[in-house]
Amino acid sequence: MKLQRLRVEQVRQFRAPFVLNDLNPGLNLIHGPNESGKSTLVRAIRAAFFERYRSKSVQDLCPWGDSSAAPTVELEFEHQGTQWRLIKSFLKRTRCDLTIGGDSFSEDEAEERVAELLGYEYSKKGGSKAAHWGIPGLLWVEQGTGQDIEQAVEHAGDHLQSALNTLVGEVASSGGDAVIDKVTAERGALLTRTGQPTGEYRQLGEAREGYQEAVNDLESRVAQYQQQVDRLQAVTQEFQKHQQERPWDKAQTSLEEAQARLAGIQQLEQQQQRELETLGHLEQQHELTAQNLAQMKRAGEQLAERREALEMAEQRLRTTESQSNTVTGELVAATEAYNAAARQLTAARAQDQRARLVREKEQAAQRKQTLSEQLEKARTYQVQLNEALKQSQENRIDVEAVAELKRSDRALREARIRSEAIASRLSWALEPGVLASLDDHPITGDGAEQLLDRARLRIAGVGTFDITPGGDQLADTRRTLAEREQSVQAQLDKLSVPSPEDAEERKARFEAAEQRRMHAEDLLRSVAPSGIEVLGVAQAEAASELEALEKRLGTAPEVVKANVPALAEAEVEFSRAESRLKAAERAEREYQTLLLTRRQARDNAHSEWHRLDREFQSNEHQKKLAGLEERFGALSAEKREKAGRVERRKEQIRQARPDILRQDIDRFEKTIQHLHDTQVAREREMREIKVRLEAWGAEGLEEQLSEARVGLEQCNRRYQELSRRARALDLLLSLLVDQRQALTRRLQAPLQKHLDHYVSLLFPEARLEVDEQLQPGRFSRGRELGHVGELSFGAREQMGLISRLAYADLLLEADRPTLIMLDDTLVHSDQSRLDAMKRILFDAARRHQILLFTCHPEKWQDLGVAPVDIEHLKKSPPTLA
Amino acid sequence: MPRFLHTADWQMGRTFSRFEAEDGAALVEARFKAIETLAGLARERQCDAVLVAGDVFDAQGVSDRTIRRVFNATQGFDGPWVLLPGNHDAALVESVWTRAQRLKSVPDNVLLALTPGVITLDEQGLAVLCAPLTQRHTYSDLTAAFDRYETPGHLVRVGLAHGGVEGLLSEDIDATNPIAADRAKASRLDYLALGDWHGTRQIDERTWYSGTPEPERFRNNDAGNALVVEIDHPGSQPHVEAVATSQFQWHQWREALSVNSDLERLIERLQALPATSVLDLRLSGEITLDGDERLNHALSVAEARIRSIQCERSSLQLSPTQEDIATLQADGYLGNVITRLRDLQEGEQGEAARDALAILATVLKDPRGESAS
Repeated sequence: MKLQRLRVEQVRQFRAPFVLNDLNPGLNLIHGPNESGKSTLVRAIRAAFFERYRSKSVQDLCPWGDSSAAPTVELEFEHQGTQWRLIKSFLKRTRCDLTIGGDSFSEDEAEERVAELLGYEYSKKGGSKAAHWGIPGLLWVEQGTGQDIEQAVEHAGDHLQSALNTLVGEVASSGGDAVIDKVTAERGALLTRTGQPTGEYRQLGEAREGYQEAVNDLESRVAQYQQQVDRLQAVTQEFQKHQQERPWDKAQTSLEEAQARLAGIQQLEQQQQRELETLGHLEQQHELTAQNLAQMKRAGEQLAERREALEMAEQRLRTTESQSNTVTGELVAATEAYNAAARQLTAARAQDQRARLVREKEQAAQRKQTLSEQLEKARTYQVQLNEALKQSQENRIDVEAVAELKRSDRALREARIRSEAIASRLSWALEPGVLASLDDHPITGDGAEQLLDRARLRIAGVGTFDITPGGDQLADTRRTLAEREQSVQAQLDKLSVPSPEDAEERKARFEAAEQRRMHAEDLLRSVAPSGIEVLGVAQAEAASELEALEKRLGTAPEVVKANVPALAEAEVEFSRAESRLKAAERAEREYQTLLLTRRQARDNAHSEWHRLDREFQSNEHQKKLAGLEERFGALSAEKREKAGRVERRKEQIRQARPDILRQDIDRFEKTIQHLHDTQVAREREMREIKVRLEAWGAEGLEEQLSEARVGLEQCNRRYQELSRRARALDLLLSLLVDQRQALTRRLQAPLQKHLDHYVSLLFPEARLEVDEQLQPGRFSRGRELGHVGELSFGAREQMGLISRLAYADLLLEADRPTLIMLDDTLVHSDQSRLDAMKRILFDAARRHQILLFTCHPEKWQDLGVAPVDIEHLKKSPPTLA
Repeated sequence: MPRFLHTADWQMGRTFSRFEAEDGAALVEARFKAIETLAGLARERQCDAVLVAGDVFDAQGVSDRTIRRVFNATQGFDGPWVLLPGNHDAALVESVWTRAQRLKSVPDNVLLALTPGVITLDEQGLAVLCAPLTQRHTYSDLTAAFDRYETPGHLVRVGLAHGGVEGLLSEDIDATNPIAADRAKASRLDYLALGDWHGTRQIDERTWYSGTPEPERFRNNDAGNALVVEIDHPGSQPHVEAVATSQFQWHQWREALSVNSDLERLIERLQALPATSVLDLRLSGEITLDGDERLNHALSVAEARIRSIQCERSSLQLSPTQEDIATLQADGYLGNVITRLRDLQEGEQGEAARDALAILATVLKDPRGESAS
């Protein structure tokens, strides 16, 4: 369907006729600013199709304030090579005219024709509503509703479905879904979603089990009952049979018979017992006699034994006696050897003693010598010591005092020097012969004097001169000097020496003497540490010891024998000889003991033999032996006779088998008891079973069982019915669902194909799937997965448009008219999406006519078509059609 | 000129599990009614005695109530009744009979033949030679003892036994409890009254099975009678008359449907059945959806009218015709489903497919219907 021309008159702002001419069979971009009439044109087209020409609800078409207007819309379009022309006038002049090719239609018929072509309905009353818009509702997108596609698809559903049916060549069952719903509900009454029984079906299954249990229980009880009846029958028969046959009587007869026979045998056994006792006594006597006899016979044997023993003892004694010489000889030899060894030992000891004395003597001589020399030296040292002591004593001086003196002397000298230094010096040179004196001391020749004190020089012939030395310290110096002189003098006096030099000398001598004394003392101590006296005593003792040793040596005998062995050797030899002797002595003692023992034994053996010999040879003994032998013979005969009798009777008893007879009696007794017991037990059991059966019988078990079976059977039958029905419903539902799914898949395929085509242009990796209602449903892009309704507003708008284009393609395939009108669409798309959508629109426009109304022509510049400017058109005069 | 009623196989205490509870109860009740009918008949025909040839009770373990009701039902005839134990109610050491005696429910005129031997009914001119089963089964001919039983010459000798006549009856009857084919002759009997075979049947001129007075199986063997036997004097030919006693008639029909007229005929037959019928119907062949609906309707009508109908149609295939499908308006995939189901009837899921088809048809016919069952 291609819209070619649109003419409006008296429609809203188009009071004057307005013509949109030469519309493109593909894309048409119609633009104008707000209020320019863009939306009015859209409204006019929709009104021409959707609104009944005689509708009163289209007042909005009138120009403002003009209630007498007759809004008229005129449309020309081509569809499948046929030219359509529709003119509709509303309100004041209600009219509808349609020409299709050469045919003309008017009024309602005209409207129906158009509606049928485009696939929509008219509303029965009032203005047109979305629910009636059908296919155009889907393909004509009003401003701001591009994203809301669901309702539109639903309203177009029947038309889409029929288009699909045409394509697929199949009918989507009209009542199919209702049937599925019904069957699902029916199935739901019996089975759960997973196919488990539910409701009555399940209850029946459970009830069935209950019945089955009851039946099983009753069956087993009936079986038990019948078993008991059988048992009662069997026991009763047995009981009666036994009551008739009385088998215990027969057993009683047998018992008595066996008892009688046993009694006979028991008598025989008693006799046997007595006889056996007699035989026992006899055997004892016989035994005793035999023993006596044997004892007597053994006396002869003993005599021979004793004789033999005697000979043996004698033989032994002889053997022992013959060993005497050997033992004695050894003893003598051993004694001799011992004595010789003892002698040798004595000699060796003497020799050894002498050698020791010689050695001791030499040692003593040596010691005496040494001590004498030491004594000598000691005496010399003593002399030296004495000398030194004397010297020392002679020169003894206090060494400290000498040192003090020396210090005093030095001080004195210092004083003198000082005094001289301050003293007035008086030197003189006198002519020979001039007599002069100083302080009364004559002076001559040359000389000088230090004057510390007033002095008087007198020169004979000349007179006297008093000289007084001057100076402050003179007097003090003079006093110090005098004090020191006095001190030195005092010390000298104390030491008894004339001068300090002497004192020193004496001290040197004293110290030398001390030195010598100490040296002499050391020497003396080295030779006589304990003093000379002690040394002397030691020396005297050594001399006397030597003397004594010489004396002893003189008395010690000289060794004469040349072959005297060394002492150790002699001692070893002695000890060996000693032990030999001891052994020999022991052997001799033992021999003597043995000899005595053997003699004793021989004597005993002899006396024993002698006693027996005497006894055996006596008369009494011989007589007793004969008596015994006679008695033994008699007893033996009697015993044989008795034993024979016993043996015969024993055989008699054995053949009668009393043990078996006793067993028989036992057996018969038990049999009787058992038979009685069994019969009594039977009677009891019969009674018991009867009681039990009476009780059970009253329950009418088999009738109960029958009734339970009836219940089970009926329950089962109902269960089977439901089971069959459940299976049938299951099968039916699965078939219905399968078929419906298969159909849906076939129906979806063509639409999906077109949808895929557009989606791939917008999102290369994405996929939008249509659902069973042919609605765009699941959207997937890469890993994203979701429903199209969850997308952003912009994306939903894009998906909405894409879907609509796909529907248009589908309709086109089914030879349905497809006019797409978009009123200011895609205002929420960003530039890149808009670009993609432009490609899509351009692509779609190759198959469908698209009228795109917009107030943003700049956005659509690159659509490849010349935009139509409404404002511009309004100004240019309308061309006549 | 003794006249007696020969009956057998009452099978009292039997239940009917295959029927709906209500029908089963009615059938049980009919058995008690049958005894009363027999008593009435005996009285009406002025019978001297009633001889029951075994299986009075269906089991040993029936309830006390059943025992009492059985004996109560005999009240209508005050002449002697001779009741013989059969294989279902053998005279065991403990049995339904001993229980009946303990319950003191046995009227004086009812004689229990619990031991083999002769029951002499001098007044009635009858000597009844009884061969009761004293075990559940026996493999020897219990009537062989009849040879030895001597009876007074002026009495009619009547044998009373329960079992299968050797070499005569079909193998359905137990091979146990055999009875020699020439027993009547061999044992010099005037009449041998037999039980065990549930249909009325004559073996020879003196030997009869009376059959059960009220049928309880679907076997078309002339059940539901009692025999009125009249014997002029010892040695003379018995005069036997079968008298219908049953309340219900049991029918077993096996029908193969192929063309429409088969169904028409079946429906006519159903309509013709009396109300006292018990029907076991087994259908095979195929039927259209329309036919199925008509059949259902006819069965539903009959069900309400007669005692019991059981219809087994697992071998009856549903074959929807084009008209059926058109009528059902099964367009689109529903048509495919119908085709699939029709085909599936041939395979393992045949039964389910057939049922499914029926359900689908019902749903389609009555889209708002509540249930298709």
